[in-house]
Order: sequence, then structure tokens, then C-alpha cells
Amino acid sequence: MKRTQGFIRAQAIAGAALASVLAVGLAGCGSSGSSTGADALTAKGDIKIWLSNNKAEVAWGKQLVDSWNKDHPDEQVSAQEIPAGKSSEEVITSAITAGNAPCLVLNTAPAAVPQFQKAGGLVDLTAFPDGEKYITDRTGDQAEQFRSADGKFYQMPWKSNPVVIYYNKDMFAKAGLDPENPPLETQDEFLAAGEKLVASGASQYAIFPSPGSEFYQSFFDFLPIFATNSSGKMIVEDGKATFADKAGIATAEFWKKIYDKKLAGTEVYVGDAFADGKSAMAISGPWAIAAYGDKVNWGTVPVPVQKTGDKSYTFSDAKNIGMYTSCKNQGTAWDFLKYATSEEQDGTFLTETGQMPIRSNLDTVYSDYFAANPEYLSFAEQAGRAVDIPSVPGAVEILQVLRDAYLKSVINGSESIDKAFSDAATKVDTLAKG
Amino acid sequence: MATDLKPQRSSARTGVVSKILGRHPLGLVFVTPYVIFVCGVLAIPLVYSVWISFHDFIFTAPGANVPPAPFVGLDNYVTVLTDPQVQRSFLNIGIFLIINVPLTVVLSLVIANALNKVVRMKTFFRVSYYVPYVTASVAVVSVWLFLFREGGLITSIMGSFAPEPSFLSNPLLAMPTVALYVTWKQLGLFILLYLAALQAIPKELYESASLDGANSWQSFRAVTIPGVRPATVLVTLLSTITGANLFTEPYLLTGGGGPDGASTSPVFLMYRIGIEQSKPDVGAALGVILVICVFIIALVQRRFVGGKDS
Amino acid sequence: MSIKASTDIESPDTEKTRAKVFRYLLLGVGAFVFIFPFYYMIVGSLQANPDTSIAGAFPHPDNLTLSNYTDINNEIDLWGSLLNSGIFTGGVLICTLTFGVLTGYALAQLQFRGKGVVFGLMLLVQMVPFHLLLIPLYVLIARDYGLGDSYLGIILPFAINSTAVFIFRQYFLQVPASLFEAARIDGASEVRILWQVALPLVRPAMLTATLLTFIGPWNEFLWPFLITKEQSMQPLAVSLANFISNAAATTSNPFGAILAGACILAAPAIILFIFFQRHFISTNIGSSVKG
Repeated sequence: MKRTQGFIRAQAIAGAALASVLAVGLAGCGSSGSSTGADALTAKGDIKIWLSNNKAEVAWGKQLVDSWNKDHPDEQVSAQEIPAGKSSEEVITSAITAGNAPCLVLNTAPAAVPQFQKAGGLVDLTAFPDGEKYITDRTGDQAEQFRSADGKFYQMPWKSNPVVIYYNKDMFAKAGLDPENPPLETQDEFLAAGEKLVASGASQYAIFPSPGSEFYQSFFDFLPIFATNSSGKMIVEDGKATFADKAGIATAEFWKKIYDKKLAGTEVYVGDAFADGKSAMAISGPWAIAAYGDKVNWGTVPVPVQKTGDKSYTFSDAKNIGMYTSCKNQGTAWDFLKYATSEEQDGTFLTETGQMPIRSNLDTVYSDYFAANPEYLSFAEQAGRAVDIPSVPGAVEILQVLRDAYLKSVINGSESIDKAFSDAATKVDTLAKG
Repeated sequence: MATDLKPQRSSARTGVVSKILGRHPLGLVFVTPYVIFVCGVLAIPLVYSVWISFHDFIFTAPGANVPPAPFVGLDNYVTVLTDPQVQRSFLNIGIFLIINVPLTVVLSLVIANALNKVVRMKTFFRVSYYVPYVTASVAVVSVWLFLFREGGLITSIMGSFAPEPSFLSNPLLAMPTVALYVTWKQLGLFILLYLAALQAIPKELYESASLDGANSWQSFRAVTIPGVRPATVLVTLLSTITGANLFTEPYLLTGGGGPDGASTSPVFLMYRIGIEQSKPDVGAALGVILVICVFIIALVQRRFVGGKDS
Repeated sequence: MSIKASTDIESPDTEKTRAKVFRYLLLGVGAFVFIFPFYYMIVGSLQANPDTSIAGAFPHPDNLTLSNYTDINNEIDLWGSLLNSGIFTGGVLICTLTFGVLTGYALAQLQFRGKGVVFGLMLLVQMVPFHLLLIPLYVLIARDYGLGDSYLGIILPFAINSTAVFIFRQYFLQVPASLFEAARIDGASEVRILWQVALPLVRPAMLTATLLTFIGPWNEFLWPFLITKEQSMQPLAVSLANFISNAAATTSNPFGAILAGACILAAPAIILFIFFQRHFISTNIGSSVKG
């Protein structure tokens, strides 16, 4: 018993010690004072930017910065790759919190924008006199998806990675399917092709999206099919969840059939199942072209539709440009941002990285490029019909709720799709309110 | 003569000081760095954690025009406790402890007892049992992944007896697999603790037991088990704390919480809610609840398991 | 029962041999279970193609390669990560051995006001799992102190290992107080007593504490994972874990690469431990059991 008493005594003592440091702890919380204001918006001078750490994008960013710096000796831009953490969102959050975010991050996920905005980390771009006009002129109709709840733009819509279906031509040929015109137009055809691929032994799995529980995994299974089934709806519209409607249920049922027929693996695969020849199809964006390269003899088709003749939509996996409040020379940052998203730089970006700038009439503006690179045309076509994550508060959490419901009902089948999705929708409705 | 006077004078001077600060005031200087350290990593964060958990706290940019965090009472606690994922994670820790603690106590005691009696190859055995304990979890998790995944060595050996879906993606088996892994990983430490306790049992007790005609099982029950009771308290306590701390294993072994959150742990959710979803206030509330739980369990275990020893 | 007991007495030798055989069998099977994954780790790290069948557990000359090691080195900068792990662990060791010895000595041999409080704090620290405080620690260290992505920020929460302090205290307690009193009467200062009298006496404790402290930061994953975002600052455990969770299509055999990384991460701790295993024996650490 002596020890117990000693333990309690230790607690009491610690309690006293805690009380004395309470003041210190509290003093640390009350940071205040504002450094942002109208002055910063017009201030010019050197700035820092972060680029995504994708090789092709870094090369593009280098030439962009070089050509800018030549003409602007007093407003030098220095670029570095975004520090590689678990996810760029986490890295940016911690940079905002620590107050050392750069002026521009050319890799800001729309899903994270409301959270950065709430933390006071982002500059309202419509505060620049030509802000609103520049954004809507360049982007066209798609700009509306990226407008925040207060009607302002805290991000410059920049580029998308519309995801499409990659398929392995050799495996299709082996399964007796036409490798040049694969029967993948409708979802029924997709399922039939998948069964044939697995039954013929051409491939262990038809497709292998990650069954992991990370919130972003839905980008590569549920969201593209849902975009098509709903003809381009976002998962939250007007503050209400949309994914429990007929289109959403049909999407979940489509994937459930795939898992029921064992056309996809249920265990997280280490590596890339498509590149390793474990699956005959994959859902990926144009960035994967570099990774698959000549490892696989691949082709691409749009996301399968419900019935012949329907238009195929997809998930856009957009990355935008955010301007951060820690930036002192926001005038320069705004000029540089406009330069980086000019028609000329967008063209260079497209050619160098294969990713799609978010601007209206992409395929006509850069028709030469698509004539020379027909394999990218399917992406450009889809880019015009690409849907992203709505810029609502708690977007990451909303995606997590959706992912949990999907795992429960579609992959593990421990709950019915109807129940899991309607429960998730109820939860998302309250989350989306704020 | 001078040397005789010196200590006297100094002790006269320290007389007053020692009344206030004790006989060796220098001791205070010696412990100061440690006390500052403990305040910095334990006391202040603990208080700060409680403070955060009662406010609508968000990560904000320094100097940003954001209103100060408002006091929200128990809101964050309500959010945490009504979250089915959090409830599931507590259930998971329950499953973990039910498997891990008895298994750890029985296996480490049996192995330590055997190890204590053998003469040959003792070093080899000892080293093999400690090796998992000294190795980084990140390193050994990768082998377990390789062994237990679908089509891995274990499932190959089990052939048609292998569970479907496989261990790590099976909602019923994910947490038991994690518990088994942690038992395996930590056993070395607990064998070590039991070995120490076994060596402290007086030989005479065994001799008198065998004079009374007890066989080895009887003397194990009558002498060994009571003799290592303090170690048992420590082992149960430490394995409970390990359970409360669980993060790396569910995160890496079962790909971020396993199927349907079947292997999420509270610390993993603290990371996911507090950092990934940027709700440090809710994450802090979960942390405070866990700290309270650990204290309660520690007190209860001391009272019940350790009732006899002191 | 009585019959059984009597037969036992009649043939004590057979019972003893049987028990002995059983003991070795138990320990042998156990050792296999404990060692096998490490053997498999090495074999897997040398395979050109991952072979998960039973035959894959035996190295096959056609399927041996060192390319996994070069692959993992291209992916995560092994040497840089190892250096970061070393700085992290080294920083913790220096702090623990300096301040831990001071504290352990003071707690065992000096009388001063507040000694009970310090001792209570030391027990308390060992009780509260550090990970439960990660949110406030993250906010404090990353935001208020601005120490994200710095060695200081990684080391700080681990700087002084309380178990090591405990071990030092136990060792210093075993040294008779009269020894120190004699030195004091000779006019030696406390610092000199500590340096010249106390330290040489507890050298084994230094080794035990070093081993025990070493495995903490070397193997730690969660904290450096949170506090380091720059890849160039990450210890090996973190960069390897990041590679496991986002293993890309860029390596030909991701599992082999992961296992190669695992071997590199495991080796220093295991080698150090096997080398000094005599100092990691029960009686040393056992002292903390009796607390």
C-alpha cells in the first residue's frame, strides 16, 4: 500500500507543479496582431514559391522562374520543391502554423483550402483589383467549383489530373479482348471484360484500386464513377451531401459487384499493382504516364458510363495555386501568379508535364499539341468534364466519412450500401454546415 | 590547523541554508535540468492539452486575423465520445489487452522460468528472445507484412486453412494479429523482468518445497508465482501502457487502421483527427481521456494484482 | 495425487531429464519463432523477385541480388537518414548521460528540499505514455517554439530518459554513503566527488543505460514522423515507413527494397545489443522492478 500512497502523493505534487506552469502554458496561446493589410497587397520585392515534387513539374517550374527573373531583377523569385511529408496538405498546414509558408504554393489541394482559409493562412485573391475577372476569364465555368462559401476565391484554379482508365493491352489480347478498341464503354461491359480477364488467367485482378482507409483513396475508385453516374455532381452541393442518391448508390453497387466477383484485391498492395502486372486496369491521372512509360503496354479509355451514349465525367484531382498570408510582397506574388498561368506558360506546362491547365477550350487552344500527342487527348476531353472536391469546410473529414462508409459497405460488406451511405450523408450534412 | 577550521566554518554557514534547502543544496542544482525537462514535456503539455480540449482550437497562422479560440465546455469531449470510430478504437484496445496481457504474462513467465534453469546455450536463447524488442517496429513490421499478407509465407503454409480474407484485411483477425505482433515484439523485455524477479527468490524456498514433496509444477505454483508477483504487476502495467500507446503497428501493419477501422487505435485516431483533419481540440480531448484511463487502470492494477506485495 | 507424487519421488532422475528435454524443446521452438522473421528479412532483402512460397524461405542462387539495397538508397537517401537517426539518438544519449547521472546521483546520495517531488515526477513520467500528449507537444514545439524540421525539435521530448535516471539512482543507492562522506570530509567538491568517486563505481550502469536509451530514439517513429516534413531531416525509421506506405512503381521489387531498408535500420541496434548483451542482463534492469 505504501507504493499506492506514494503514487497518489506524486500525483498531488505534480498537480501543484502543473498549477504553477499553467500561466506559462496559457501565455503561449494568445498570439495576436495582424500583419496583413492593404499594404502587403501592393508590395513588391523578392518572393519564395513551392513547387510540387514531381520531376516534370519541377523542370517546368525552373524555366518559369528563370524566364521571370530575367525580366524582373528587383522582384526575384526563388523556387523549391515542397518538403516531402506524408501529404502536401499536412506540410502546408504545419508551415502555416509555424508562419513560414512561402508566397505561393503551386500544389494547393482544393479540399484543403477551406481549412487553410479558416486558419487565416490564405490571401483572398479577389482583393486584387483584377482578381475576380482574371480568374473567371481564364478558367471559364469550372471556376465556380473553386469559389469559397463567402463568394471569394482563395485559390487560383490551375491544373487538373483528370483520371481515366488505363488498361494493359497485352493482357486484353491474352484474354481475347480487342486491345485497340477495348469493350469498356459501359459499366456492364467493364464488368464483363473484368470477368473475362480474370477467368482466362490473363491477370490475377481486373483492377486494383487501393482498399486503404485514407480519405484520398476515393479519388481513384468511387469519385470518378460517381462523377459519371451523376453527370458531374460534386459530393456536396448547396451544403447537402449528394452521394446517397441514385447515382451514388449505383456507383457503390458497381464497385460491390467487382469485389463480390473477386475482380479486385481487398488487401493494400505494396507497390503499384498495374505496373507490377497484378491487375489489368488502373484508374490514374496523366502523371502516371511517366510511371507506366514502357513498363506496361498500356492504353487509356474514359471512365465507363451507365448506358451507351451517356457522357463520361471524371474526378479532376485538381491542384491549384494558393497565396499565403505570410507573404510580404503580395503584389509581386500576384503578378507572378498571372505570369505562371498565362496562355504561353500553360502551353509549356501542358507539353512538359502532360497535365491539363484548367482553362476553357483546352483542346482548341492547344490543338497542335494534341494533334502530336493523341494519347493525351482523352485526358483533355475529360478535363472539360472533370469534377473536384467542393471547397467546403471540413472537406477532409467529409471525404473520410465517405471513405469509411464505402469500406464498410462495398469492400467489407459488413453493412448494406443503402444504410451506410444514408448514414454517411446525414453526417456529412451536419459537417458541411460548418 | 587551517584544514580543521575550514569545514567547520563552511558547515556553520551552510547551517542556515541547509535548514531551507536541505543538507546538500547543490542537489537542487543537479536536478534542475531534469525538472525543467519534465515540466516542458509533461506538465506544460498536460495542462495545455486540457486547455485546448475545452476550447474551439484550430491551427492558425501566427499573426493572422483569427478570433481567439472560444471556450466550448465539454463539446469536444462529446464529439469524441459519440464518434463511432473512437468507440471502435476503444473496443479494439480492449480486444488487444484481452489477448496481449495474459499471453504476455504466461509466455514470459514460462520462458523466463525455463531460461533460468538451463545452462547450455543460455546466451543464444536470451539473445534470440531480446532481438525483436531492441529492433525498430518499422523494420520488423515490414517482415510481418511480407509473412502475413495474402499469398505470404504464413498463408502459403496454411494452404486451404488460411483465413479468407487474409489476416491483415480480415475485420475479425486484424486486431488479434496486431496483438500477437506486439506480444512477440515486447516479450523480450518482460522475460528480462521476470528473470530478475526469479533470481531474487531465495533458493531455500524451493528446497523446503521439494522437502515437502512438491513436484516442479507444484513448487512453480507455490513458490514461483507468488515470488514474482511484483514483476507481474509491472508487466501487466507496462503492457497496458503499450496498448494505450499503440500507433505504429495499426498504422503500418494494417494500412491505416485496418478494414472498417477494425484495428484503429486511439493514438492513431488522435493523429488522424488532430493532425490530418486539423481538429487539434478534439484530438486533445481524446488524449486527456486516455491519460485519465491510464491512471485509473494503473491504480486498479496496483490495488488488485499488487495487493499482497507491499 | 498422492500416487503421482510418490512415483515422482521414486524416479526423480527420469522426471528431471524429461523436464530438461521439455525445457530445451520449448526454448528451441520459441527461439525459432523469434529469430525466423529476422532471417526472412535478410533473405527477402537479397531476392531479385519476391518469392512468398515456402521455397522462398531458402536463398536460391539464381534469385540473389544486392540491387534492393541500391534501390532503397535511391528512394530514401539511406546515408542521410542514418545520419539523422544518429544525430537524434546521439543527442538523446548525451542529454541522458549528462543530466540523468546528475539527477540520479542527487536523488540517491544528496539531501535537499523537494527531493520527494522530483522522485514523484520521475515515476509519473514513466506512467504517462508520451504519445498521449502529442497534440499539445506538436502545437508547442512546432508552432510556439518554431522547432519543426529541426534536430532540437526531434530530440526535445526524448532528451532525458527517465528509466535511465531511475537506473542511475538505483546504482548510486548501492554505493555506501560513507564513501562519499569521507570524500566530503577531505574537502572535495560535490562535482569532483561525482566525477572521481561516483562515476567510476557505476560504469556498468552507464552501459546499461546507454543500451536502454539507444533503442528508444533509434526506433521511434511517431514523433519524428510528425515533426519532420523535410525528407532531408527524417530519421531512417520515418523515411522507411513513408516508403512502405507510398511505395511507388519506381522500384522493380518494392518488397525487397523495403526489407533491405529494414535490415539497415535493424542492424545497428541488434549489433550493439549482441556486442554488449552481457550488460543488458536481468539484475541491472531488475532493480527497477523492485523500485
